[in-house]
Amino acid sequence: MKKRKMYMRMITASLLRRRSRMIVALLAIAIGATILSGLVTIYYDVPRQMGAQFRSYGANMLFTAVNDTFSQEDVDNAVAVIPESQRVGVAPYRYETVRMNDRPVLAAATDMEGAKSASPFWRVNGDWPSADGQLMIGKSVASLYKLNPGDKIEVTYTPVIETENSSSDEEALEENADEEFILDNYIDFEVVGILDTGGNEEEYIYMTLNDMEKLTGKANYYNVCELSVSATADELSVYADKISEGVEGINARLVKRVTQSETTVLSKLQSLVLLVTVVVLALTMICVATTMTAVVAERRKEIGLRKALGASDKSIIGEFMGEGLLLGFAGGFLGAFLGFLFAQGVSVSVFNSSISFRPLLLPVTIIVSVVVTGVACLIPIRSATDVDPALVLKGE
Amino acid sequence: MFLRMILRAFLRQWKKMAMIAFTIALGSSLATAMLCVMMDVGDKVNQELKTYGANIKVVPKDASIINELYDTDGENMSGAYLREDELGKIKTIFWAFNIVDYAPFISTNASLNGGDEVTVTGTWFNHHMELPTGETLDAGVVSMRSWWEIIAGDWIDEQNGDDRDVAMVGKALAEANGIKVGDTIDLKGSSGEKSLLVSAIFDAGGDEDDQVYVYLDTAQVLAALDGKVDSIEVSALTTPDNELAEKAAADPSSLSIAQKETWLCTAYVSAICYQIQEVITDSVASAVRQVADSEGEILNKTQLLMMLITVLSLVGAALGICNLVTASVMERAQEIGLMKAIGAQNPSITGLVLTEILLTAIIGGIAGFFAGIGFAQIIGHSVFASAISVRPMVIPIVAVLVFIVTLIGCIPAIKMLLGLRPTEVLHGR
Repeated sequence: MKKRKMYMRMITASLLRRRSRMIVALLAIAIGATILSGLVTIYYDVPRQMGAQFRSYGANMLFTAVNDTFSQEDVDNAVAVIPESQRVGVAPYRYETVRMNDRPVLAAATDMEGAKSASPFWRVNGDWPSADGQLMIGKSVASLYKLNPGDKIEVTYTPVIETENSSSDEEALEENADEEFILDNYIDFEVVGILDTGGNEEEYIYMTLNDMEKLTGKANYYNVCELSVSATADELSVYADKISEGVEGINARLVKRVTQSETTVLSKLQSLVLLVTVVVLALTMICVATTMTAVVAERRKEIGLRKALGASDKSIIGEFMGEGLLLGFAGGFLGAFLGFLFAQGVSVSVFNSSISFRPLLLPVTIIVSVVVTGVACLIPIRSATDVDPALVLKGE
Repeated sequence: MFLRMILRAFLRQWKKMAMIAFTIALGSSLATAMLCVMMDVGDKVNQELKTYGANIKVVPKDASIINELYDTDGENMSGAYLREDELGKIKTIFWAFNIVDYAPFISTNASLNGGDEVTVTGTWFNHHMELPTGETLDAGVVSMRSWWEIIAGDWIDEQNGDDRDVAMVGKALAEANGIKVGDTIDLKGSSGEKSLLVSAIFDAGGDEDDQVYVYLDTAQVLAALDGKVDSIEVSALTTPDNELAEKAAADPSSLSIAQKETWLCTAYVSAICYQIQEVITDSVASAVRQVADSEGEILNKTQLLMMLITVLSLVGAALGICNLVTASVMERAQEIGLMKAIGAQNPSITGLVLTEILLTAIIGGIAGFFAGIGFAQIIGHSVFASAISVRPMVIPIVAVLVFIVTLIGCIPAIKMLLGLRPTEVLHGR
């Protein structure tokens, strides 16, 4: 008991008395530990954070109907298969051919908020439709009709007469026979935005689901649903299979172009960060080790003196290692937190989101720092204890 | 005398000096490697992002809308096309070097084996071009549709195939009609007929799964559209858009002359579009927002991420060097004390220590620089399978960094040495 107390006192007293040197050593270890914990945290977080960035490529999963159309309930059932935290955007679409100035135009109706998050690359000159009676039109349509935001336009739709369902066939036939009797549905829209995507979307007009319902008289009816899901390609195909099998009426497909390319690029990025982490860590650890070696080597004389006074090699090594390990522990502890702060800073400034602390990283950082310091101290101590104390004291 | 002292110091204490040099070399190699990687990562990631396909689409002027809006049954009645003989011009624009790939497309309808109408698309697969500049370029859908999965057979190889009567069939179409690789399909277009050998079945995960892909001239024969193409997709390395680029894209004539110059001389997607329109007659080139915008987003993030990691490693390397220099100079308290005792002046001691350390730093720094380039190449080859180019700018940055860091490392130590009292030091207190 007493011996241990003495040992602790010797170590702490030695650290305190040689303050400036010890600060140098502690700093070196803390830098190493900071880089270790910072880079490893970033490495583990990159796939998640970068994956979220890749969602700017838009939908990576599509629901198509097995028989022409599906309903909101089908969409809800299918979407429920995907964990909520991974859903970035869900945009169900319904397509109809409508007429503007008696010319046919393809109209799409969707949940605008869903479309906004599922297709973040859409550029809208003006505003997205936020209320009924507002219309967003593709760039090509806009230039064809010479429309600008703020203009008014009438959209008409001719309801399909379903003769076989009609209660009175005679009446329906009469209506078919004379076109005058088929009343077109129409809505006066205000153009609020012009959509620029560089793709086919520019040839459509977009309205809210409510307006489409009014125009066609049919509700709860979709053709396609676009989903943006933050998941790996493997996870996605599992979800797609589950949905296609489990949800009746919906066939889930992956948008190969997006999923495949994301996997390729993301794996490259991850291996880049991994390799950089390894190189930086290796170099920094060697750097830490040489500094520790320099700090300890300075004390060769002290070691020689102790040996001359009759200390055993074992006790000298024990004492010096004790000091080194204590420093390693303190530096590792300090570095683990500094590293987390750094990773947090990177995450906030690059990805605008915070990082969760990995508790496992704390012991790992401390253990690595202790091992590196231990090895770094052992080499000069060994070489000092191995030689004759007389030679060491003489400085040869 | 000064020189001799320094020389002796190196010869006598070579072990210690070697360690300082080694640490400085580590630090400078770290700085070099990270700077090289950081400066090149934009280009490299840009290249990787090309797997998403074209970021610019060129279509004929005016007719484009009518064609795509009303021509739902695929009869090419609009009559507006781009000219095939102008395709090579795309590689002659100012930003030719940034254009990594492009492919023309022409779509027509044809009846398959005397039955249903299918969409037949003619294109380049891996078209080999000899450019007027003497360069060569392999362009086409093989690289621009990298996400296609070939289920059976092989990609059509333009450079190796003597037989041009071949076709690739989409998965859905193949399944519906029971087409297998090696089968012969008959296509009857509006003005021509062809019998083609099926060389591959592909899964594109999109509309292409219902189509047949053939050589450009095959599709032209089917539709009697010699030398014409519908659209061109271009894959270009671009700089992420900023305010200027957005303003220019909206209306190039709204810029001042100086602004326009900056705009045209930066590889913005809108600037490249503008230049393509100038060389291709009656064309409209527009950015495919899905690819162009996302690319910019990801590029910016990656560069920022790498920059912060680089800063961390630079700070780490700097502190590491600083630390070691401090530690190793402090160690020499006794030697300095002795020098002072026999009458050395403070400036001459400072000069001696500084010269020694800086000489070591130069040796270590140069060795580290080359090692760092080596590390950068390892990273480049194992991640991107291509060498990382070393920007000349890295050299002065690393040199200044090593120099300043070493000096800073010396300051506290020298301050301490100068404050030493010779008697105390020699006494060992």
